[in-house]
Amino acid sequence: MNELSPLLAQLVNGLIIGSIYGLMALGLTVIFGVLKIVNFSHGEFYMLGAYASYFVSQTMGLHPVAGIFVAILATFFLGVLIEKALLTPLYENKVERKDEYALLITFGLSLFLINMALAVFGPFQKSAPALTGGTIDLGVITLSSGKVLAALIAIALLLIMLFIINKTWLGTALRAISQDRDTSAIMGINAKRLGSIAFGLGACMAGAAGALLGPVFLVYPIMGTVPAIKSFVIIVLGSMGSIKGAIYGSLLVGLVESLGVFFLSPAYRDVYSFLILILILLFKPKGLFGGAQWNN
Amino acid sequence: MLEVANVEAGYGKIQILNNLSLSAKENKLTLLIGPNGAGKSTLLKTIFGFVTPSKGSIRFQGEEISGLPSHKLANLGIGFLLQRVSVFPDLTIEENLKLGAWSFKKDSARVAQRIECMYEKFPILKQKRSESAGLMSGGQKRMLEIARTLMPGPRLILVDEPSAGLSPKIAKEVYRVLHELRDEGITLLMVDQNIRESIGYSDHVYVLERGQVSSESAADEIEKNLKQVVESWLKF
Repeated sequence: MNELSPLLAQLVNGLIIGSIYGLMALGLTVIFGVLKIVNFSHGEFYMLGAYASYFVSQTMGLHPVAGIFVAILATFFLGVLIEKALLTPLYENKVERKDEYALLITFGLSLFLINMALAVFGPFQKSAPALTGGTIDLGVITLSSGKVLAALIAIALLLIMLFIINKTWLGTALRAISQDRDTSAIMGINAKRLGSIAFGLGACMAGAAGALLGPVFLVYPIMGTVPAIKSFVIIVLGSMGSIKGAIYGSLLVGLVESLGVFFLSPAYRDVYSFLILILILLFKPKGLFGGAQWNN
Repeated sequence: MLEVANVEAGYGKIQILNNLSLSAKENKLTLLIGPNGAGKSTLLKTIFGFVTPSKGSIRFQGEEISGLPSHKLANLGIGFLLQRVSVFPDLTIEENLKLGAWSFKKDSARVAQRIECMYEKFPILKQKRSESAGLMSGGQKRMLEIARTLMPGPRLILVDEPSAGLSPKIAKEVYRVLHELRDEGITLLMVDQNIRESIGYSDHVYVLERGQVSSESAADEIEKNLKQVVESWLKF
């Protein structure tokens, strides 16, 4: 059994990181489903969430868990504001090439936020305090309590999001908009307002992921790039727009990464998820849940 | 109930409606007929705010509604049955109906009561309440669309080609239901290509040609010289 414990530790680690990636990928999926745009600035909301949480716990001296909630609120409102300011021309028939507009706007926003963070926070890596100290000894493996707490919070947030999407008026309306925007207007749903809320929800999930992973990795202006690329990998391999795909895809990526680290080499950690993506798309070009809709 | 006066509207530089005026009287089924491209569907879209008129006024119960965003019209008591299939395919039938009650979503007792009311009227929907709406047959989808439109108790319903794509038997059923609605006191403004069938159910008919009203009369009158009217469309 003892020979297996490093493997087991890696697997658990993979699931922990996977559940946090899941938050980020689900955020991307919500934005894609409702607004039909790919948010290229998703990684920067992750970065801002990490900074928000870092400052709440380091500068203000509050508990790191409080920092996570501040990060969620801050990125939600920032997301709503940015959507209102930059993306509403998409729905007022002012823009001729909507996809290109959304691509340029969100990509530009990404560069802007990175450089703003460089100017405001400086280029140096900051290490955020762990959510909680100590370890949990399971006999076979020992886990850091901070990581376990981060995963539990991520799972709780995922469940809350799934509840909102599947069981509330807001979620039903968001799913309706993602399927048929004109008909939801006929129902009296203000798709423009809910679009801003959807962007805010997507952004705050990235913000939460950043706040949760800040203590695991480090906090710096371009910290969002790799997680953002990974969430793109996740939603593509799980089928664009599928909620199920986003969640299972992130667990898969988390597991494959840690198995790769264990059996091959930790140096290529970021390569394994791309390998999986290539393999899945070779055999299932529509992704794992091909054809599945946004609400599945 | 609904007064459209001197409306001009179109898509981009292409003008479809030219100084068009008509009205839909309370508790009546008003039918719009005309050749393809006459602007029938565009008129309904303009009334509902999907197309913004460049000129003219649209008044509903005396209140100006032109230029209002579409989502505000549901709250005023106007419903719209689109020509194409418009159920939310990946929502359940019950969720589809619920969204019909969006304008009074905070009153959960009333929402539940309206849903029950619709289940009574359309029993097939109750049987399939937790199935995805996308899995239903064409006729059942149409019934769900009608039930969903009725959820908030609208005063006026715009109807675009209610029988498009349906079998004659189901089309008849749809007309029967629409006729019942009129008898219950709902005003209907309907566009239809299936003239022979729909004219028998209407009260008043407008003929549209090139974005204008070319004639209007009581339904039974136009029924008599329907042949002439349709032949006149073939001339241009």
